[in-house]
Amino acid sequence: MSGPEDTDLPGGWEAAAAEYVLGLLPEDELRAFEARLSQDRDLQQDVEAWSEYFAALTDPVEEVAPPPQLLRRIEDRLFGRKRPSLWQQILPYLLGAVAAAAIAWAAMFSGMLDFRNEPDLWADLETPSRGLVLLAHYAPESQTFMMQREAGDYPAGRSLEIWMIPEEGDTPISLGLVAEDGLTQIPVPQELAAAMDGAAIAISEEEPGGSPTGVAQGPILSIAQMAPRDE
Amino acid sequence: MTTPQAEIEDLIARTAMGDRAAFRLLYDRTAAKLFGVCLRVLNDRGLAEEALQDVYCKIWARAGQYRVNGFSPMTWLITLARNAAIDRRRRRDAGERARVAPIDAAEMVADPAPGPAQQAESRSEAQALMSCMSELPPERAEMVRRAYLEGATYAELSDATGVKLNTVRTWLRRSLMQLRECLSR
Repeated sequence: MSGPEDTDLPGGWEAAAAEYVLGLLPEDELRAFEARLSQDRDLQQDVEAWSEYFAALTDPVEEVAPPPQLLRRIEDRLFGRKRPSLWQQILPYLLGAVAAAAIAWAAMFSGMLDFRNEPDLWADLETPSRGLVLLAHYAPESQTFMMQREAGDYPAGRSLEIWMIPEEGDTPISLGLVAEDGLTQIPVPQELAAAMDGAAIAISEEEPGGSPTGVAQGPILSIAQMAPRDE
Repeated sequence: MTTPQAEIEDLIARTAMGDRAAFRLLYDRTAAKLFGVCLRVLNDRGLAEEALQDVYCKIWARAGQYRVNGFSPMTWLITLARNAAIDRRRRRDAGERARVAPIDAAEMVADPAPGPAQQAESRSEAQALMSCMSELPPERAEMVRRAYLEGATYAELSDATGVKLNTVRTWLRRSLMQLRECLSR
């Protein structure tokens, strides 16, 4: 094992500390350096000081806003398999819906093998305690998600937000707000459209204008699975 | 009133305890800077987006270790971002040397000293580093910048200067020692 001190290079371990921070140490020397670093407090301070100074090289680097969906992708990667408690509470209902969808799928596979025409998808979103009934409808031809209030009142001074959960365990994605009157129509981006069949749709009550954080805050009023319907 | 630095430290500490709202706030405060750093290293939006995801996953996983290494909060974050971007860059270039723009001593001009307004804004480390870097021969200061901001290896620096690898390394280490001496004045 050769370390910087075994060579004729100038600067010894102190220069190696700077090379380490710059990422310039060759593989074999890197291992020797890190072994020593874990023992040598002075060397650690050198590495800290170089890190601090060289980080200043990024001062002139301009800030660039990352694309808005990136945080969601990061949260998917980190928390994708673990829902916040709010969603865990409704999981049993979701599992029932998944079973129903699985049956629907099985029926579809055995009954018809023609997928050229993707079927329209539907879900009933009911909140019995409030007498609220919403009908969700997705039309693949126009890639439009629609929602119609069939019964019940829109909560005064609040907004109803629509969430899509592509697969169980996924982070809910906001599709938008339920319109207070008339038909809600929301164009769906391609990547969500592909996942619409079998996705769960949830409705939450939020402050006016919807959740400011991109995560459902208010109570979940209902959840149901998007599935084709016999016509 | 809390300083921006104290706020970032607080957000890192809360992130270490698994506070997702704090993590989101930390992202809001720092993502644009760290994305800028990733873009600078990778010069490719798609890869920089992937690197930025790596960065925040690491921040989430390692927030608890932040206090152990005595960095200031932005240095810690910038170092994570820079290293994640360089990992991506080296994987992209796997095996082959990246084509590097030549470093020609004759064409290099020393960085002008920062103006007073710029000096007032930048951190004291930045001021010290800039003034000490300007004491190095310009092409060597450029090598240091290339290594840090673009992840250039000695092999690439050798290509960029047309100087043998061992010679480049000897030069650079001398310059780093000169830099260290200047910074500790």
